[in-house]
Amino acid sequence: MTTHAVHLRRTTGAAQATGRITASGVLHFVTGHYLLLPIGAVVALLWANIAPESYFNVARVMAFPVNAIAMVFFFGLLAQEIFEEMMPGGALHDRRRWPVPIIAAAGGTLGAAAAYTASIRSATVPMFLDGWPIMAGIDVVFAYFIVRAIFHRHPAVTFLLVVALASNAMGFIALAPTFLFDGSRAGGSGVLMAAAVGLAAWLRRKEVRVFWPYVLVCGALSWLALYLEGFPPALALAPIVPFMPHTRRRLGELFEDEVDATGHSPRHYEHVWHYHVQIALLLFGLVNAGVMLTGYGEGTDATVLAAVGRTAGILLATAAALALGLHLPAQLSWRELIVVALAAAVGLTFSLYFAIALFPAGPLLAEIKLGALMTAAGLPLAFVAAWLLRVGRFHPRLHSYRR
Amino acid sequence: MKHILLCLVFAALAAVPRAQTVADVVRFAVIGDSGTGGDAQYQVGRQMASSRSRSPFDLVLMLGDNLYRRASPEVYASAFERPYAALLADNVKFVAVLGNHDSPESVTYPGWNMNGQRYFSFTRNHVRFFAIDTNVLDAKQLEWLEQTLGTSRELWKIAYFHHPIYSNGKRHGSNVELRVRLEPLFLRHGVQVVFSGHDHMYERLKPQKGITYFVVGSGGQLREGGVRRSETTAAANDQEQLFLLVDVDREALRFQAITRNGAVIDSGAVPRQPST
Repeated sequence: MTTHAVHLRRTTGAAQATGRITASGVLHFVTGHYLLLPIGAVVALLWANIAPESYFNVARVMAFPVNAIAMVFFFGLLAQEIFEEMMPGGALHDRRRWPVPIIAAAGGTLGAAAAYTASIRSATVPMFLDGWPIMAGIDVVFAYFIVRAIFHRHPAVTFLLVVALASNAMGFIALAPTFLFDGSRAGGSGVLMAAAVGLAAWLRRKEVRVFWPYVLVCGALSWLALYLEGFPPALALAPIVPFMPHTRRRLGELFEDEVDATGHSPRHYEHVWHYHVQIALLLFGLVNAGVMLTGYGEGTDATVLAAVGRTAGILLATAAALALGLHLPAQLSWRELIVVALAAAVGLTFSLYFAIALFPAGPLLAEIKLGALMTAAGLPLAFVAAWLLRVGRFHPRLHSYRR
Repeated sequence: MKHILLCLVFAALAAVPRAQTVADVVRFAVIGDSGTGGDAQYQVGRQMASSRSRSPFDLVLMLGDNLYRRASPEVYASAFERPYAALLADNVKFVAVLGNHDSPESVTYPGWNMNGQRYFSFTRNHVRFFAIDTNVLDAKQLEWLEQTLGTSRELWKIAYFHHPIYSNGKRHGSNVELRVRLEPLFLRHGVQVVFSGHDHMYERLKPQKGITYFVVGSGGQLREGGVRRSETTAAANDQEQLFLLVDVDREALRFQAITRNGAVIDSGAVPRQPST
């Protein structure tokens, strides 16, 4: 990912200098901004509505390999990025910044769940009632890129990250008892997980600096443990990541690594897996986002309303936290918060992931998926709000605004 | 002489083709999206009772959305027990599947005879019915369906569920995601007829890969102009609430779509396929 970031700047700069748009420049822009997921989603939507039978046959075959195996690398990369952000120099290192965004996340989750439940109750479709935990999902990657694009390096980025991570954690906790993956709950998974974590700790102690043993051996054991227990096996690398080799981060450089003296960090997990993760996200969008537009229903409305409820909940909970005497970080005012709360409305990857974990394929899932895709509207809304409120890149004195 | 006469009588009896007995015919009614508690549902209920006086049946399949309001004793009474009071008084058995508007806990409501199960199977003479829950079509249910269809030896296999996998309804239409999961099982195990609701209209489709599909979603609800007829439509109606009356003997399934006013707007027969 490091060389990718450097190359991205070089190719973009070269293209700008010559006024040309090159194929490799476009490719690097797409991968650099994690756009393969929405591209996959758009292709899936078109395919599902033009040739549904072939789409659903393909999606059905690919669902398990993509959702349970390929996505291991996405969640592994995300866990790695977050873990490194919590190290000295990272955006999440200063834990004094956590309380207000965590309260905001709790408010956002409550707001989303309340709006969703109210909508479902008024529409008399009780089959959807169990789906409220899906509404905790915030697409942390997408929301991060939105806020980063608006604010560059700014406390708003950290605030958004904590909100998104805390909200998704709440979603995972709420969903845990009802995960519907095909695990047989065969028992013995605790031993397997202990072996996975123990081996990772041992590798760390032996100062093993290559990540392959962590991923292939510890990750495989962890995957099996989760699968057997009925939890989403895509989370297999999350407990392994803290033991893997790490590098320190600069504030606001999530998904963009520091380079070493040679401009490479070949032992670094995310450097090697950057493109693989992008392909996994492309496939994830392709397999899960294909919904026939006739599948629109009450679940769709409720999911969209939940995104509105989350935005309102974040703002209300932050107001409550401030009323209790807590403080916002420096440079973060209500204007920035409104933009952050709108960016946090984007559920996309996480909402889709929670939805497929809760509902099997069918009409209920299709309605929720359609709503999850529609929450992408948070992206333009965040930009419009930033422009209207004159914050971030739209601030009249941009240079003094940015740190 | 006595022996000769007896032989003649037996020979005559053997020569006469065996008449079809009442037990050989399985007759039942089908209603879908019925639970509005409105006037139209009551009219359909009265028409069902009227038809039953001429063509007795003791079974009704309910295709889901059996209630459109939150389930409670009052709602069960107003949107199920009273509209079909005459049928229930004569011990007609209603066997339901759930639609998206039904409460999951309704599987335990005694009047719908689901015995706490979301999906199940039951037999009437030579007909095996498969009640499928398309709200939550998980791997476990598909495994059950594959196994149950595979072990069924009845002459007729009839599946019913809420969301249609073939439909020309404007609002919902065919659910292809369900189709790619269910149709291969139906084809592999010789399901001949499928009943669904969800789209608030009536449609009989031309056989799709040998299977005849009915959408009977106007037992109480109605979306006027809700059908977009296509080359797959055999017959359709989006102007009247109705129910379907079905006779199944060993050779054919005969049906009549009867409106709340008693008009028969579609009728015909689905011959049993020789391979099954």
